Amino acid sequence: MTYQPQADFGTPGTKNTEMASLTIDGRTICVPVGTSIMRAAAQQGTSIPKLCATDSVKSFGSCRLCLVEIDGRKGTPASCTTPVEPGMVVRTQTPHLAKLRKGVMELYISDHPLDCLTCAANGDCELQDQAGAVGLRDVRYDVQATHLGQEKDQSNPYFDFDPSKCIACSRCIRACDEVQGTLALTMEGRGWDSKISAGFASDNFMGSECVSCGACVQACPTATLIEKKVVEVGTPERSVVTTCAYCGVGCTFRAEMRGEQLVRMVPYKDGKANRGHSCVKGRFAWGYAQHQERILKPMIRSSIDQPWREVEWDEAFAYTASELKRISEKYGRHALGGITSSRCTNEETFLVQKLVRAGFGNNNVDTCARVCHSPTGYGLKTTFGTSAGTQDFDSVADSDVILIIGANPTDGHPVFASRMKRRLRGQDGRPPAKLIVIDPRRTDIVRSPHIEAQHHLPLRPGTNVAVLTAMAHVIVTEGLADEAFIRERCDWDEYSHWADFVSQARNSPENLQPVTLVDAEELRAAARLYAGSGGSRSGSPQRRKINAAIYYGLGVTEHSQGSSTVMAIANLAMATGNIGRRGVGVNPLRGQNNVQGACDMGSFPHELSGYRHISDGDARRLFEDDWGVSLDPEPGLRIPNMLDAAVDGVFKALYVQGEDILHSDPNTAHVSAGLAAMECVIVHDLFLNETAHYAHIFLPGSTFLEKNGTFTNAERRIQPVRKVMTPLNGLEDWEVTQALAQAMGLDWSYSHPSEIMDEIARLTPTFAGVSFERLDEEGSLQWPVTADAPDGTPTMHVDGFVRGKGKFVVTDYVPTDEKTGPRFPLLLTTGRILSHYNVGAQTRRTENVAWHKEDLLEIHPIDAEDRGLKSGDWVKLASRAGETTLRATVTDRVAPGVVYTTFHHAVTQANVVTTDYSDWATNCPEYKVTAVQISASNGPTAWQEEYEALSERARRIDTGVPAE
Amino acid sequence: MIVRISDDAVAIACGADAVAEAFACAGADVIRVSSWGMHWLEPLVDIEGVGYGAATPSQVSEIIAGTAPSIGRIEDHPFIARQTRLTFARAGKTRPISLDDYYASEGWLGLAKARQIGQDATIAAVRASGLRGRGGAGFPAGIKWQTVAGTMSDQKYIVCNADEGDSATFADRMVMEGDPFMLIEGMAIAGFAVGASKGFVYIRSEYPHAIAKMEAAISASAHLIAPFTIEVRVGAGAYICGEETSLLNSLEGKRGEVRAKPPLPALEGLFGKPTVVNNVLTLAAVPWILAHGGEAYAALGMGRSKGTMPVQLAGNIKHSGLFEVAFGITLGELVNVVGGGTQSGRAVRCVQVGGPLGAYIPPSRFDLPFDYEAFAAADALIGHAGITVFDDTVDMAQMARFAMEFCAAESCGKCTPCRLGSTRGVETIDQIIAGKNVEANMALIADLSETMKYGSLCALGGFTPYPVMSAMTHFPEDFMVRNAS
Amino acid sequence: MNSAERLVHMANQIAANLATDDDPVSAVAYHIQLFWDPRMKKLIQENDKAGLSLVAAEAISRLAETKDAA
Repeated sequence: MTYQPQADFGTPGTKNTEMASLTIDGRTICVPVGTSIMRAAAQQGTSIPKLCATDSVKSFGSCRLCLVEIDGRKGTPASCTTPVEPGMVVRTQTPHLAKLRKGVMELYISDHPLDCLTCAANGDCELQDQAGAVGLRDVRYDVQATHLGQEKDQSNPYFDFDPSKCIACSRCIRACDEVQGTLALTMEGRGWDSKISAGFASDNFMGSECVSCGACVQACPTATLIEKKVVEVGTPERSVVTTCAYCGVGCTFRAEMRGEQLVRMVPYKDGKANRGHSCVKGRFAWGYAQHQERILKPMIRSSIDQPWREVEWDEAFAYTASELKRISEKYGRHALGGITSSRCTNEETFLVQKLVRAGFGNNNVDTCARVCHSPTGYGLKTTFGTSAGTQDFDSVADSDVILIIGANPTDGHPVFASRMKRRLRGQDGRPPAKLIVIDPRRTDIVRSPHIEAQHHLPLRPGTNVAVLTAMAHVIVTEGLADEAFIRERCDWDEYSHWADFVSQARNSPENLQPVTLVDAEELRAAARLYAGSGGSRSGSPQRRKINAAIYYGLGVTEHSQGSSTVMAIANLAMATGNIGRRGVGVNPLRGQNNVQGACDMGSFPHELSGYRHISDGDARRLFEDDWGVSLDPEPGLRIPNMLDAAVDGVFKALYVQGEDILHSDPNTAHVSAGLAAMECVIVHDLFLNETAHYAHIFLPGSTFLEKNGTFTNAERRIQPVRKVMTPLNGLEDWEVTQALAQAMGLDWSYSHPSEIMDEIARLTPTFAGVSFERLDEEGSLQWPVTADAPDGTPTMHVDGFVRGKGKFVVTDYVPTDEKTGPRFPLLLTTGRILSHYNVGAQTRRTENVAWHKEDLLEIHPIDAEDRGLKSGDWVKLASRAGETTLRATVTDRVAPGVVYTTFHHAVTQANVVTTDYSDWATNCPEYKVTAVQISASNGPTAWQEEYEALSERARRIDTGVPAE
Repeated sequence: MIVRISDDAVAIACGADAVAEAFACAGADVIRVSSWGMHWLEPLVDIEGVGYGAATPSQVSEIIAGTAPSIGRIEDHPFIARQTRLTFARAGKTRPISLDDYYASEGWLGLAKARQIGQDATIAAVRASGLRGRGGAGFPAGIKWQTVAGTMSDQKYIVCNADEGDSATFADRMVMEGDPFMLIEGMAIAGFAVGASKGFVYIRSEYPHAIAKMEAAISASAHLIAPFTIEVRVGAGAYICGEETSLLNSLEGKRGEVRAKPPLPALEGLFGKPTVVNNVLTLAAVPWILAHGGEAYAALGMGRSKGTMPVQLAGNIKHSGLFEVAFGITLGELVNVVGGGTQSGRAVRCVQVGGPLGAYIPPSRFDLPFDYEAFAAADALIGHAGITVFDDTVDMAQMARFAMEFCAAESCGKCTPCRLGSTRGVETIDQIIAGKNVEANMALIADLSETMKYGSLCALGGFTPYPVMSAMTHFPEDFMVRNAS
Repeated sequence: MNSAERLVHMANQIAANLATDDDPVSAVAYHIQLFWDPRMKKLIQENDKAGLSLVAAEAISRLAETKDAA
């Protein structure tokens, strides 16, 4: 396929269903009322010249190229800003219009450098196209003043800004405002002096509020804002639609290629998760795929003291299989285990768990969801009957109240955050949705341009359950519960039991205030707002049901009561009737690109794909028959239990695909002790990650650009991942797992991931209707995809809960065992930042380090003052588990008594400090609460120095010796 | 002895304060009233109806003694006697922020009538009056009100455009400084009629006296117009903010940039809510219309231009000032008879009507009646009815250049024809003035004018061609002469 | 914490969180039955139960009974 930009209809579509028929250039077309003439014309294949219009932003009417004539109207209205009317007769081409357009274009070109042949956008420039379209042949002006020769702003690592080529169409500004919602760009000066500016005139792009999402670059019709990669490589020649491999939003991109070289990732307008938007990671931070540190050859060593030895694939598979067999024979089959990756495809994940269950002969399989959203699985399965968010992302456009708890969407899920912010700014002429944020930190969404949370409840870390129970207390005792919904949809007795519990005086906001540190009145107001009685809707003619939606993240799950918090959230939603329609629901914001998929695929030790417990004989038999093996009916080990068992000397071999547990899992010392106690650690990854220090076998992985498969995002959307280039290591990850299985004697013969998906569909009722063919047709499908819902399920629990009746579960507040005291008086909580992704394995190998070179410790001015600290000082961060050093930044975003850091950099390793306390139901680590002390420091701790030496030693590759 | 002296900005600029103080020192009872609008006579001293002007402090004792030359009874002065003063009926007579004076001179009758007859009948009265927007576009006010009244919204607004920036215009300022309650009453009637609870008056910062008087009057009359409330907002010096959509952006705290229409402000105006945006003179005409009936107003004027227009005479003219008259009077009568010709005494070369974007009209067209349609047919516009007079020393090529330069200076920069075209226009006229490729460049200006006229987003770029093309059409010799030399 | 201590801690934590259930002992036993691997179940049954809360201890015994019954 040759390169074609995505079709641009000029102005956004409308949701109107009422239709109007009009005539454009003699042809009759019927379009929804509210459609612009420009869009209507585009739909019938008539392209009216335009420059300032693009269908990602509202019409603006500034370029004046799209003028048309309309019978019965004076003058020449702009087709982008004029909506169609029934019976309208429009002409888009007349001599008068041609002359006007030529006149406008003559003005543009009189102020544009005529360097098309050497311009990076040559062939991909709307100004160039439109100059041709209007037939401009010469510029008659004897030009004196121009905007040429201005200095370029090349400060952003990914794109350049060349004001000399700017036509002042404001598309970049409008994209920043309307699509991204950062409002970083502005028009400086007026008239002739109008100039796009990132913040103040003295700012450059890098120094401004710009978050480098790329929306402006995407919107620019000329070479003014252009990817550095296009400048370097040239314009693309073909494109492939695929899915981003960063976070759980799951943006659809067009990978635009030149040969096997990726030129740029462009957000795909038809992507249902992102609707044409992107963030700095997905849009730009893919350079790691070609990073020099990528390992492309398999490597083995008999002991971790030795340097690595590169081998061929065949030797690697044979050696790995023999080691696994040896250990299984020597220590028993329960000494083996595997970890699936939420970074890999559904098909790859499915194969790894199949390898463990069918090949290793046990259920010792777990996944990185253990350390992020396992409580979501437990909590939503218990209350609603299935482990997934209830909505699609589009749903947020219909919310009236949005409650965010323990999530920082503008950093963690930026593209969805932008969609949420559109609603919070009240675009589309509706009153803005109201916002409640429950978070120890004042995250960016609490107050950002044109958005201010009605209520921010800055709770003490670890008291989520107490806060939610107090909210439930208010809802029940003030008579705000939706009893009709509860009677119809939930178990009334369970509700009554729960309602009695939350109504107890000890659960009142006032009584819990000393625990949560949340102002009781504020909490009451927030509860009323969520329940639909606090937000005044005066003026609306008829009072309708308020749509309140809850969005949550790891600030909910990564606690000793993570599962309880998820259930408390579900209780609130059921009690207020906010389940089962658009605009409402309980929505976990998943961390990794395929956490949802990894969980769906049966990666947990206790369940098979589709959330069926391993003890369920019917489900087990289905697999046994298909796979021709017998399965262990007892649950296997979770990751922390595997490490415990390893320390105990009974767990000896681990296959880890695409996860860096040493860096990401809590209490690093315990993780390293467990790994060190194993005899065969197999790391399957792109890079020699931290876990690989303890590995005996390294199997090089492939990137998402190098393989076929599917990812499932946070809205249960199964989306195709398409191979755009040959794997540098020679094999897609599923092929590596298959070859390993074959080397172990398993009879696997998949020739394409589509066959794996066919098997998944065969064995998993909720995936019954999924196939690659269907995904190619539909673009994506939200499970359940069944005979009843062949096109998938955007909203769950519409007529009834998956489990039948919704279940209210009493969630009593149980304080964490991790307590502050004189030695460790502060509470540490951890999180992410926009420019980096989790342990940073990918983003640290891109230009994104320009935004965040190191992890910083946020500390409140009062706590800093007490310790004589100021921003930029090196500080020692110590807990009962360990200590590390990093630099401090003093800020009142955190409350007094709370400190915060990110865990993106291996040199900091925040998890040296975190403890192995975990969620009571799932063992999801309590990352969000660690009692710590902070003190001034001169430099790295002994641990950091030792680790540095270990890393260097462990990463040696002995390339001098030829493979035997 | 009661002495009435205006505290209007023009009177003050001409020395009214010093004159007033001199009278006070001499023991007179000085009352500061609004201005009669005869600017060449300011400071005009009014003692029991007899006028003395332009007065100086040194004349005070003579005036008191009755020995100074007077202009006679002010009401009988031909400049006043020729007028039909409806909007300016109180001009020169009342104290601007005296509620007593306002009550005593038919004040609040219009609002009372509106409240009595109800919303629909109020709008019907305005429609019957034929009142058209006095800001320039001449859109029927009643239809605009009807549109806003017909919308369903939790909030609607009345916005008074008092960003009076056209050359030769001062009528808005005179209303706000001289009769602020009338404007407030007009806004309150509008608010009542369309269901708006809140009004804004957007006043240019160059009018400090008007701002002070409006604020004082709003505060003094708040109880009378309640529940309707009015707030004064001060502009920041951009001509473009007199354009209604830029004005709305500015009111919202945004960059003063023109919005594309549709949506009409009547449907999506201030903060996205249905909004009546009317000029000061439009709203100020409303109390009289309500008090006396729409038909009485419509009985004046000609064709579709009903009622009276406060014409403002300025520039090189002998009798400058405010002249309110029914539509239909000819331009020639206004300039030569009422205005008395040029102040310099030289021949009139042309006049510009409607501000810097208005056409230059030569004396050969002085038969034009003051009427929206007649002016439009002559490629001219009435605008805010300011008339600037030029004598025969004017260089029309420079005036054409100035029009482009003005557009370049005041462009908001949104649309291409205005943003780039105005500067290219200046450059090209410079070429003509320098005698380079005159014919080709004049053709280019004609093409550019067409692009700007039909292509621009608002009237700034769209009307700039009027002065340019009228200068080129009516005075080609000023452009060609350079070629010869 | 060694493995045995950790299992005690886990069992107590489960018991604390299921304390408001109608039948806490059964709930704790069921939870452990569903989510713990056989070795962990065996270990906690064999090890010193001194650190276990009342509910947790009873649930562990219940677990052993169900196991024996099965």
